[in-house]
Amino acid sequence: MKRFIVFTILIGFLIGSTFVNAEVIEIRVLHVNDFHGFAKPYKPFGSDEMLGGISYLAAMAERLRTEKPTLLLAAGDMIQGSDWANLFQGRSVIELMNQMRFDAMVVGNHEFDFGQEVLRERISEARFPVLGANVEGMEALKPYVIKELAGIKIAIVGIVTEDTPVSTHPKNVMGLRFASAEETVQRYVNFLRDKADILLVLSHIGFHADRVLAEKVRGIDVIVGGHSHTKIDKPVQIGKTLIVQAWEHAKALGILDLTVEDGKIIKFEGHLEEIKPSLGIKDEAVEQIVKGYEEKADAALDEVVGDAETDLDGEHVRKRETNLGDLIADIMRETSGAEATIINGGGIRTSIRKGPIKLRDIYSVLPFDNYIVAVRLTGRQIREALEHGLSGLEEEAGRFPQVSGLMFSYDPSAPPGKRVREIRIAGRPVESDREYAVATNDFLAVGGDGYKAFGEAVKASRDFAVIGGMMKGERLVYSNPGKWLRDVVIDYIKARKKIAPKVEGRIKEVR
Amino acid sequence: MRVYVNDRDVDLLPGMSVRHALIQAGLLGDIESGKKAYDEWGNEIGLEGALAEGVKIYVESHNGK
Repeated sequence: MKRFIVFTILIGFLIGSTFVNAEVIEIRVLHVNDFHGFAKPYKPFGSDEMLGGISYLAAMAERLRTEKPTLLLAAGDMIQGSDWANLFQGRSVIELMNQMRFDAMVVGNHEFDFGQEVLRERISEARFPVLGANVEGMEALKPYVIKELAGIKIAIVGIVTEDTPVSTHPKNVMGLRFASAEETVQRYVNFLRDKADILLVLSHIGFHADRVLAEKVRGIDVIVGGHSHTKIDKPVQIGKTLIVQAWEHAKALGILDLTVEDGKIIKFEGHLEEIKPSLGIKDEAVEQIVKGYEEKADAALDEVVGDAETDLDGEHVRKRETNLGDLIADIMRETSGAEATIINGGGIRTSIRKGPIKLRDIYSVLPFDNYIVAVRLTGRQIREALEHGLSGLEEEAGRFPQVSGLMFSYDPSAPPGKRVREIRIAGRPVESDREYAVATNDFLAVGGDGYKAFGEAVKASRDFAVIGGMMKGERLVYSNPGKWLRDVVIDYIKARKKIAPKVEGRIKEVR
Repeated sequence: MRVYVNDRDVDLLPGMSVRHALIQAGLLGDIESGKKAYDEWGNEIGLEGALAEGVKIYVESHNGK
């Protein structure tokens, strides 16, 4: 009898111990990606509704944090994009993220757009670790961080796309090496396996690549992604790996709830909360930061960057050569190292009067987020491009060309497609089969305004390399998606202080 | 790089986005009139989303494929 009682007590103790050790813990991961400084609500292209607004997102995040132990993570491309961010080289965004108490961020490809020195400054201002395990050569980036939530250790490894060198100006990544994301993650999975309960990859490689990563590397519990701006409504599971991504521009907050037992995820539930002004509740401290920088941005746009010694004509760009068209085309040619430039006059939206030139003026002239591209075109393709540009003369279509490095004559009374007469580059007649480096903008390069001529060169530029700090391909001469054309123009004017472009007779009507 | 829009190939320069692919495919106007861009798994994608070799984009009406 005594033995039976002792035995029963022992069994009871063992069962009790097991129950205590199998504690079930609920934790939460909140995530955003590709914010790009879109601090205020806005109407996305094609939408009738205002979406986003970081103050609304912050209020929601703060409320959700009170419900269970939570991490707030950023999957890259946070500091660059909107004027609200760019005018301060991302300082506004870091201040915002500090206020929101982000726990970690992975560097995105666009974080490099202001250059390494600025990125290091931003990292030093951040009150959270900025990760980049596969970036070699920048000590400020940490490969991983281990966070603890309710006794659960979560290792967070950050990786960024290996394509970063070709999505920003090569000088921005000079001296850096972007190693294989897959090999890097495998190495850290092996290293961190016994140091943490959960392994989370904070990834800026895109959803397509996240899926491949999940297939090839075992041991990843969660991938919080970015870069592809994908709206993943519910977590995707590949093997034992969960993949999430929260769209873009603060239009969604990702919520991933994990139930953890004995250090293992036994249950998960995730979704996106769409963020819009109709939610009503703002985080007032964050709103103060948004408004504060908005006011500073407005003041910054009044900065005088130079002086126009003559009126700069942006009004007649759709029907004839203008001095402003010449100036912008010249800047593009000089920046890209091309022999000529062809751009659409319609991309130049207004004039600048003689006198001080404000930042705001340049923003008004060049409001679109276009960047400079240069490709090799044959003389035949140049003629085709100019014919296309002149084909909408009668309706003053935006495709009317503004040029640099070349002059051409045309007969407006001839039928469309047969208007161009003489074309000269560097004073010499253009040869049909000879190739010339021609600068344009990314819009025309992909066939915007109906320009087809650049498409063949783009097609032939599929294979390329970064050589000597510049992108070189079969027909690719220059591409800098990391810097808008208007910022290039601003830098040009700031450097020269006074500008006085003249119409030079590059585009001549003949009958 | 080569991507596919509504199963037709589109050639772009590195660093270009969904928006560029749609311009090249002549479908940006569809987005302006309310259609959305989706990946091959049915997830909506933002116009500034980055692309990679072989990515498939579908332009569909908002209520799905």
